[in-house]
Amino acid sequence: MTFLFYFFSALVLFGGLGVVFAKNPVSAAFSMVISFLGMAALFIQLDAFLIGVLQVLVYAGAIMVLFLFIIMLLDVEEVEKRKLSLPTVIRAGGVGAALVVLISTVLMRGGTAGQALPKLVASPEKSDVLRIGELLFGTYWLPIQIIAVLLLTATVGVVVLSKRELK
Amino acid sequence: MQVYYLEFFVVALGLVMLMVDAFAKLQDKRSLARLGILGLGVVFLLLFAVQSPSNAASPVWKFYAAPDNLSLFFKGVALLTTILSLVMAIDFAPIVLSKIAPPDQGAHPQAGLGEFYSLPVFVCAGLMWMASANNLVSIFVSIEVVSITFIILAGYMRRNVGSLEAGVKYLILGALSAGFLVYGFAWLYGITGSMELGPITEALAKPGVNSTAAMFAFSLILVSLAFKLGAAPFHIWVPDVYQGAPTPITAFLSVGSKAGAAIVTLRLVYPYLTSPVLGTKALAILVVIAILTLLLGNLGALAQKNLKRLMGYSSVGHSGFLIMALASTSYPGAVNALSPVAVFAYYIGAYLLMTLLVFLVLNVLNAADTGETLDSIRGLAKRSPFLAGILLIALASLAGVPLTTGFIGKFLAFKIALDAGQWMLIAAALIGAAAGFYFYLKIAASMYLDAPSSSDGAAIPVNLLTKVSMVILAILILLTGIVPNVIVKLFS
Repeated sequence: MTFLFYFFSALVLFGGLGVVFAKNPVSAAFSMVISFLGMAALFIQLDAFLIGVLQVLVYAGAIMVLFLFIIMLLDVEEVEKRKLSLPTVIRAGGVGAALVVLISTVLMRGGTAGQALPKLVASPEKSDVLRIGELLFGTYWLPIQIIAVLLLTATVGVVVLSKRELK
Repeated sequence: MQVYYLEFFVVALGLVMLMVDAFAKLQDKRSLARLGILGLGVVFLLLFAVQSPSNAASPVWKFYAAPDNLSLFFKGVALLTTILSLVMAIDFAPIVLSKIAPPDQGAHPQAGLGEFYSLPVFVCAGLMWMASANNLVSIFVSIEVVSITFIILAGYMRRNVGSLEAGVKYLILGALSAGFLVYGFAWLYGITGSMELGPITEALAKPGVNSTAAMFAFSLILVSLAFKLGAAPFHIWVPDVYQGAPTPITAFLSVGSKAGAAIVTLRLVYPYLTSPVLGTKALAILVVIAILTLLLGNLGALAQKNLKRLMGYSSVGHSGFLIMALASTSYPGAVNALSPVAVFAYYIGAYLLMTLLVFLVLNVLNAADTGETLDSIRGLAKRSPFLAGILLIALASLAGVPLTTGFIGKFLAFKIALDAGQWMLIAAALIGAAAGFYFYLKIAASMYLDAPSSSDGAAIPVNLLTKVSMVILAILILLTGIVPNVIVKLFS
């Protein structure tokens, strides 16, 4: 299991690097799909089957297909190579390196060790989907409603901002 | 009435506005904004009809704090800010219409204006949710409602390069700050095992808490909150976005977004400040941020020529005073006569009055196409004595001249820092306040003493609604400057 964890983590990182470094937008989008697939495998390893499946169906499937459609419709060729000046590279690299050092220090000092997280309660008579649904629309009804408002405003905004001529 | 009905009334109002815009053939879409102002005014009155929770076991209280003076005050701030932004948006309509996509053949000539009036109402609901959020989940989703809608509004005038730049900058940096916030929340959950602020406070106060990890979570969360508050060193976006966004939205952003971020900061930082293990460390970080913000905000404003940009730096400077009040919190052991929460809330209230008043005037100047540089308001007193007088009151209050509410706000912030013995902070705040005196009063002096820049001497027209709002705000500034006890009593 540990081997699989490292394998899929490496896959996620490989995909992520691909997104950043690929010159062709289509390859960048496909790298993102690889990253999402690795992520889905990690979720499944954590027994979060529904989230894993959703990750594949929604992210890797629907959203990335939409992405590819747009890239191909816009007919984006290779992105022009950006010239990075040395000071920029040094500054950005410095911040990145500092963050890595910081996170590894925190992890080395025990991370969250000593604090038991709430136990997951297994209930074989109810499926994952049912329990997540119960949580979302029962306990979590308020945040769900707030997200509904968020989606509404985002939709309205996209329509207003993207139309060439307003009706 | 249950307190969580309020937000749903506001959301319903927004939906009604969208529907009216879509299906009723309005002659003039500006009446939508009037409808919004009326509706929000009614919700504001409902704030006084809130009852204590009847069913304490309902799952809603896991995400939404039971009503107290603090959350109701911040809901009121959100409502008032939205109302005044809509008042400004009425005057600003011609500029928005000239800078968004043109109407389709046969479409309403004001197409696109209805959304400009409806979206702020949804932001208002988000800000009101932020005021009551007591769970990491509800804090995050309500912050996102506010910031995503603000991205749309900041970039609303998409045929204007400045507005587009503001939208894109806010989008990218906002996404980055959201990332920091969620990563910090993940660590906080890992350390404390809970999403609710109550249990988080208890877990952080335990002596066995892993302080390295806890402080890491604190700094990640603080990066994001400092971004939202416009606190240094995460304030770089503030001047650009303030300058580019449509003026009513700049006003809304500078008061509404800051007030929302302030109440969330208060709720998230307090568990750390009250923890005997982490209190001193968290305080040290806050002190550094407060000093940087006070200096960079106020000194940065000195060189500005554009009034909206200047207000951006001024907003950063005022965040410095806010964080100074927070950094003067007495952690367990020390005794402080004044509650930092009271100072914090008072300062936000004062900031609302004076900043919105400045923007009301700027908005009228913008709509009259006077320009927004310092030069454009030279000799304004000769041209429009009313506007100049109103702007003078607002600027005096921002600078902290006695007998205005801004003076009391700064006075309380200094007093509480003095009680806590934060000498470094006081020194930085003195430099900041002195710089503030210079650049705010420089504007006032140029309005009254310099000769007008153009020969056009006609008075700038101000419509009745705007005029009434200006007068009310100016009276409130003077009134709370002379009798400040009303607000302070509310929180002590």
